[in-house]
Amino acid sequence: MSAVFDDGLSLFGVRRMMEGVIPPVLCTASTDRMPNVSYLSLCEYVDPLHIALSYQFFNRSRENVLATRRAALTLDDPYTGGGVVLQLEYQRTETEGPVFERLRAKLMGVASHVGMDKVFHLRGADIYRVLEMRRVPGRRELPAAAPRVDLPTNSRLLSERMANCEDMAELLDTLLGGLADLLRIDHAMLWLFDASQQVLTLLASRGYEFDGAGAEISVGDGLVGTAVREGVPIRVGHMMNMATYARAVRERAGESGLNVAPAPEIPLPGLKEPRSQLAVPLRARGRVLGALLVESLHDQYFGYDDEDALMMLCGQFAVAMSLMQPPEQEAPTPVAVKAVVPDLKGPLLRLKRFGRDNSVFLDDVYLIRGVAGAILWKLVAEYLRSGRREFTNRELRLAPELRLPDVQDNLEVRLLLLQRRLAEQSVPIQLEKAGRGRMRINVARAVVMEQDES
Amino acid sequence: MALTDDMIRLLSAGVAHQVGGCTNDGRPVVCRGLAAQHEAGRLLVIISAESGFEVLDAIRQNGRIAVNLTLPENYRSLSFMGDDAVVRGSGAAWRPLVDERHQAFSDQLLRFGIPPEYTNAWYSAPDEHLVAVRFTPTQARNQTPGPGAGNAVQLIPIEFEK
Repeated sequence: MSAVFDDGLSLFGVRRMMEGVIPPVLCTASTDRMPNVSYLSLCEYVDPLHIALSYQFFNRSRENVLATRRAALTLDDPYTGGGVVLQLEYQRTETEGPVFERLRAKLMGVASHVGMDKVFHLRGADIYRVLEMRRVPGRRELPAAAPRVDLPTNSRLLSERMANCEDMAELLDTLLGGLADLLRIDHAMLWLFDASQQVLTLLASRGYEFDGAGAEISVGDGLVGTAVREGVPIRVGHMMNMATYARAVRERAGESGLNVAPAPEIPLPGLKEPRSQLAVPLRARGRVLGALLVESLHDQYFGYDDEDALMMLCGQFAVAMSLMQPPEQEAPTPVAVKAVVPDLKGPLLRLKRFGRDNSVFLDDVYLIRGVAGAILWKLVAEYLRSGRREFTNRELRLAPELRLPDVQDNLEVRLLLLQRRLAEQSVPIQLEKAGRGRMRINVARAVVMEQDES
Repeated sequence: MALTDDMIRLLSAGVAHQVGGCTNDGRPVVCRGLAAQHEAGRLLVIISAESGFEVLDAIRQNGRIAVNLTLPENYRSLSFMGDDAVVRGSGAAWRPLVDERHQAFSDQLLRFGIPPEYTNAWYSAPDEHLVAVRFTPTQARNQTPGPGAGNAVQLIPIEFEK
């Protein structure tokens, strides 16, 4: 049996109706023709003739589908108010594979915002063949919104700007600046993934009250943490709607005796009440190195085209980040320009390191940890020992005492993170670039170092 | 069976209406409803004859119907089922009820940033397309998303005078 679609309609063309801004409605019927109508949380495009619907709970709809294999589905256009109605034939339920993973990532990304990870369990992706797709007749539709920007052209411009960057700081500023100038994305954060600690560290942001460099979240937290864990982009254009849906499920789960408490909501990073978010993983050489999170105060701000454009730009950024190392022919390691640490004034600074995670505190205030923490510790120790203030990236990369497996890949990035974190905290220890492949540490007060191996 | 007071209050709270049916040859069909009202143990639902033609056909075939009412502000969702639905009465007489429900629904969606112009697209049926469907609810189900969605909830038995 061939599919019957109204003229001009294709499943690909109605992808935006599957976003869930207006939740899809599923109608099934029992074998004795008694209908049942319910809302769905997720619908996903599979191919020109198939869609996937989320299977989270065994309920009346599923019972009917397994008995009759038939369903009707309505999708509403989030921009025009138009809609389509589909006739579906159930094919199978997938519990692994790319379609299942995409659905699961979307579900988990939203669920983690409201502490619903345990209840929002995706049992499967139900695959349906689309037998018919027709426009809902008789609606007075609104005109489709004009595109925000010329996305292909402006993405290309940004890509060219990034290709001309020579170091990480320039690359980072170009990306974040270009998102605002060329793509009209005014709120963005770039997170780094530390696989050994399973945390994401904020490298830089744009469009917020403060930069937040060095802030951390766990892998799996929120949209960005889920995008990193799953290695796929996740987009939500109706945060408020999904949060309301999730809370309704939580209340029902509680009534059904499922253990969902305590489940505090994780505060959304950045904007207090974002209406749209898109998290895009930074992938290079088969690994996820971090993620870009962009936000908007407007509903449905990011579409499939934004997702495609940012995937390309983030891929370029990730490859550049992993390859961008100073030239191998570096200047020799600088010698101490002054063999004695200057007699600095002011109260003594106490720099303390905890060996288990290389977390570093300055006067009992947390500064940074991980790779960046270990580097800071080494630089200050060397400065106090010899008075040397300048260091090459190469000597850090080769330093055996750092014992940092990931440092080969992104030392430049970790140095940039450390530099930004110190600058943001305005502490008396600062780091600055001292030429190609070289850094300089500036210490404005006397320092005492304290190591804790616990 | 009749609706409880709580259910009757939900009808005017600004709910979205979805109306389902199933043809005799097993084709499930669904459309957006425009209004619902309780009438002495029966439920009245207004549908656009143009956008709901498939549902109206199915109801005419076998009288079976499911009406889902969902309140956007909290996703509270109830479905009512019946097997004696009849399509009867159409026209401008239903306009005041439709306008009232339209306004309440539009207010609900505004909370989610969906402007009234958008909701108007769904409520653009002219008077001559407004069709009334009446049925006696025999079952009600809680369709609030989550585990147990689809479970039965109690209706009130109708007591007839002896």
